[in-house]
Amino acid sequence: MSAELETPDLSDIKIDSVGDFTFPENNVYDAGYGLSEKTIDYICDVKGDPEWIRDFRKKALKVFNEKPMPTHWATKDLENIHFDEFRYYLAGDRKPKKSWDDVPEEVKKTFERLGIPEQERKFLAGVEAQYDSEAAYSNIKAAVAEQGVIFVNSTEGLHKHPEIFKKWFGKVIPTGDNKFSALNSAVFSGGSFIYVPPGVKVKHPLQAYFRINSEQFGQFERTLIIADEGAEVMYMEGCTAPKFDTATLHSAVVELVALKGAKIQYVTVQNWSSNVFNLVTKRGVAHEEAEIRWIDCNIGSRLTMKYPGVVMKGRKARGEVISIALANNGQHQDTGAKMIHAADETTSNVISKSISIGEGRSTYRGLVHIPKHLKGCKNNTECDALLINPKSRTDTYPAISVRGSQHSTQHEASVSQVSAEQIFYLMQRGLSEGEAMSLSVNGFINDLAKEFPMEYSVELKRLIDLEMEGSVG
Amino acid sequence: MPLSPALSTSAPAWFKERATNAWSQFQTLPLPSVRDENWRYSNAKSIPLESLANADVPDSDVVKVAVAASVELEKWSARLVFVNDCLAASESSQLPAGVICVPFSQALEQHSDAMREHFMQRQMQLGSEKFAALHLAMLKAGTVVIVPRGITVPAPIEVFHWVSGENAAIFPHTLVIAEDNAAVTVVDHYRSCTSEAGFSCAVADLIGKPGSHVTYIACQEMSEEAQAMHLSSTVAGKDAQMKSFQLQLGANWSRSESVSDLVGKGARSDMLSVSLPLGDQIVDQRTLQNHKAPNATSDLLYKNALYDSSRTVFSGLITVDEGAHYTDAYQTCRNLLNSDTAEANSLPGLEINADQVKCSHGSTSGPVSEEELFYLKARGIPDNEARRLIVLGFADDVIQRIGNDAIEQMIHARVEEKFARLG
Amino acid sequence: MSLKIENLQARIGEREILKGLTIEIKPGEVHAIMGPNGSGKSTLSKVLCGHEDYEVTGGSATLDGEDLLSLSIDQRSRAGLFLAFQYPHEIPGVTNANFLRAALKARKPDGEDVDAIAFYRQMYARMDQLEMDRSFTGRNVNEGFSGGEKKRNEILQLMMLEPKYAILDETDSGLDIDALKIVSRGVNAMRSAERGFLVITHYQRLLNYIQPDIVHVLMDGRIVKTGDRSLALKLEEKGYDWVKDEALPAAA
Repeated sequence: MSAELETPDLSDIKIDSVGDFTFPENNVYDAGYGLSEKTIDYICDVKGDPEWIRDFRKKALKVFNEKPMPTHWATKDLENIHFDEFRYYLAGDRKPKKSWDDVPEEVKKTFERLGIPEQERKFLAGVEAQYDSEAAYSNIKAAVAEQGVIFVNSTEGLHKHPEIFKKWFGKVIPTGDNKFSALNSAVFSGGSFIYVPPGVKVKHPLQAYFRINSEQFGQFERTLIIADEGAEVMYMEGCTAPKFDTATLHSAVVELVALKGAKIQYVTVQNWSSNVFNLVTKRGVAHEEAEIRWIDCNIGSRLTMKYPGVVMKGRKARGEVISIALANNGQHQDTGAKMIHAADETTSNVISKSISIGEGRSTYRGLVHIPKHLKGCKNNTECDALLINPKSRTDTYPAISVRGSQHSTQHEASVSQVSAEQIFYLMQRGLSEGEAMSLSVNGFINDLAKEFPMEYSVELKRLIDLEMEGSVG
Repeated sequence: MPLSPALSTSAPAWFKERATNAWSQFQTLPLPSVRDENWRYSNAKSIPLESLANADVPDSDVVKVAVAASVELEKWSARLVFVNDCLAASESSQLPAGVICVPFSQALEQHSDAMREHFMQRQMQLGSEKFAALHLAMLKAGTVVIVPRGITVPAPIEVFHWVSGENAAIFPHTLVIAEDNAAVTVVDHYRSCTSEAGFSCAVADLIGKPGSHVTYIACQEMSEEAQAMHLSSTVAGKDAQMKSFQLQLGANWSRSESVSDLVGKGARSDMLSVSLPLGDQIVDQRTLQNHKAPNATSDLLYKNALYDSSRTVFSGLITVDEGAHYTDAYQTCRNLLNSDTAEANSLPGLEINADQVKCSHGSTSGPVSEEELFYLKARGIPDNEARRLIVLGFADDVIQRIGNDAIEQMIHARVEEKFARLG
Repeated sequence: MSLKIENLQARIGEREILKGLTIEIKPGEVHAIMGPNGSGKSTLSKVLCGHEDYEVTGGSATLDGEDLLSLSIDQRSRAGLFLAFQYPHEIPGVTNANFLRAALKARKPDGEDVDAIAFYRQMYARMDQLEMDRSFTGRNVNEGFSGGEKKRNEILQLMMLEPKYAILDETDSGLDIDALKIVSRGVNAMRSAERGFLVITHYQRLLNYIQPDIVHVLMDGRIVKTGDRSLALKLEEKGYDWVKDEALPAAA
């Protein structure tokens, strides 16, 4: 087996449009198709996993096999996932790269094609970027490391920092939380492990780029972020995937732990190609006076199911989900938020905006839970849906459960269209119908787009303009 | 003696066949599980199916007391009283000519065609297929109202359903058909003769043909040992205006399923409800606003004022079918939590498949506003009285949307009476 | 060279509103159209801009010889036609600055962008003329604006887009006297030999500040009388009835 990646011949690269291109595959480790104990042994052997992880994975496989698909409430499209047709482990080069120069040319090309701006590439000095299931590039910005921040891929975290890793791993999202968290627990590889020591406020956002680049290859990142007391960190994750003819499965698990007074912001801008099943479990535990914010933008994919959650475990903890979803033809964005209040005076806020274009479908599912014996909990939920075309579809299914007289919850949802009068007004000023619609849609999500870091909100606007092309007229 | 169907020999063949099929359906269908989305936060095991029995023919003393207590509205066009699914009193001399308002068994015999066309034609969608089957299999009493084209029934038709006897079960049925441009108001009362356990499994279907106006009120005031189920549907034709109101005051466990089908252009359906659960009462309500035609409006407002360790579940769904453009659909659920152990669960939902739709839902849960309370107290009103006024106002806000003074006063009085039971 | 409307007929649904309207506005001219409620004043402005609720059933409208009626709404705008709306629409989430940039960019050849520095310099200068606070640039278009702020914003857009012909639809409605003066000052600053104006108003008051060259009276979908500024004064003094009396026998 050759361990070196060759520089690809550019003539092999098929380029159709943004995000729609593939590079020749040069895979070194491949667990083959299908999922069994053997697959898990292969992964463990290749990765040199400790025994407890091997056990953990095997137990998870059992849970995964036993759990039914959640089709009694979720879409039947899940039945079209054939687990035997995926490869569960694939790595280009197992050793994470230490400097930008070492990054394979083909990965650099990928970043370039994705339009990551020059100045943003400087940011990549502090990036944990994932290429297929292992990190292809990993380098912690010196300043961050000096502060004692650990920012490595999850495998490295597991090997080099077992004392922290083991304490929190699988504690926020238990293996059996749902079928896909069990799947991830069985075959996870890649993802980030971050630990921020007490009182350390990480100035720059930590970033990771994820891509899938092997046909029918499922990607199962496992990310664990721990912000110790009073620490602050922002993590940014961006994904685009090339198009393939057959379905691709992506099932990540992200666990966040914000200890007393800590603050974690987790930003995602996702633009999967429309054959991807993206079934993600994301949850954080916020201790006393801690804050966890999920800032999430979902564009593309065949089916995304993602309901970021916050368990507010300590007094005065805060949880927030800011979410933008855009569903175009053949896409179903099934997203939402889960807010579990488990201590007094905890507050949560959910603002979700969805846009359905063509025959796209967006669904909001929410859970707000305020159990007994608590005082002074608050939740505010707003979800607004915008329908662009007559065949566009939207659904909203929140569940709010409140016990006791010392809480307040408020949920509001609306469905609307861009009014004909608004389009007339904009067109009277010389904008074409498409431009008027694009501007209106960007306006609809503007207050949420502001919550994203600058470079992401610019990218977001560009993605929306692209998606809106051809939606009118 | 467990429940067993007792078929009337005089019923038409088609009905007997349906009842027989329904009984086997009831026996085959599993009890809904808590994992079923339509039963989330609820539990069908709350109905003690094993211990229920067919209601006996009531003693004449019981009948006398029940009939004497069947007095609510001062003015009515017709009044029927049933005790244990047996007709105990009936008075319909105030009805305009041509209006049919008869007990169910009579309607089966005399209006078989209309019954065949309209009787329980709608597939249950909100989780209680098994109980609808039980209702059909056990059904022998209720009211059928048919209002001919263009006729307005001036005063409400008022119907009382009483249950008597430990663990007795009744299966009251209501079918209202308003022909084109007809107008009618029907009030159903569900009550227990004593504080014994019992079960009422009612079905009410309201059919509004083009241009008709139908108002339907269900007042459930069963004993607090009883269970009550109410499965209702309205069909609103072109420009029809349907209004249904649920008053849920009694039973330790009640469940209502209300469906509104908007099938004609320009139709309107208002769905209203007030509940005031105390003690360990559980109020479980499921609704569906089903827009099948363009330019129709539906507006739902459900309010619950919860005390003690009571629980409520509100699960509402608005569906707008493809082609139901220019739909206006609104859904609001408000929960006023008045104790630390009361629990409100809200599941408001939307499924939109059409264009040019105005849709919204809102749900709030919280205590009485401190500002409101302060304002009243600043005017010298003591805390308890201030709270009472605020909660009554909270309920009246819905009650006033019924649009009939006499009924509004009656319901307000029922709520006030229940309120008086608070310590 | 003119905005030429000939025998224009239009309806909304089954209702005929414009019944053969003729008017020609040459560059440099300011025309005023006055008329009672329901005479078709606002319809005229919407029909000229291509609003889809209205159906043109006859006649023609050309802008410097180009057939307006065959153009889409935005093409008409880019051809040089501007409407200051009576009820400007609120555009949630879209800031004034972004909106104006988008409108200016739409007038440039494909791919060419607006020079940001020049754009802001010009916008700030125009805003100063209209006594608009700088914070306006970051606010969403018309959202939460008072009536006066909305009208000022319309004139700001007029000043930035520099159309060949501008229609002001009841720009004076909802304005107090100070705002009216500011808005009029903005309009007057834009008057030039290259630009024509059509001022639609119910009241004479506005015409004290934006003085028209020609005044038309619109009644029942037609121009029934045309005169100079004195006609507006006479209308204010005597109302519309005398025009009706005069027009009716003429029509008979």
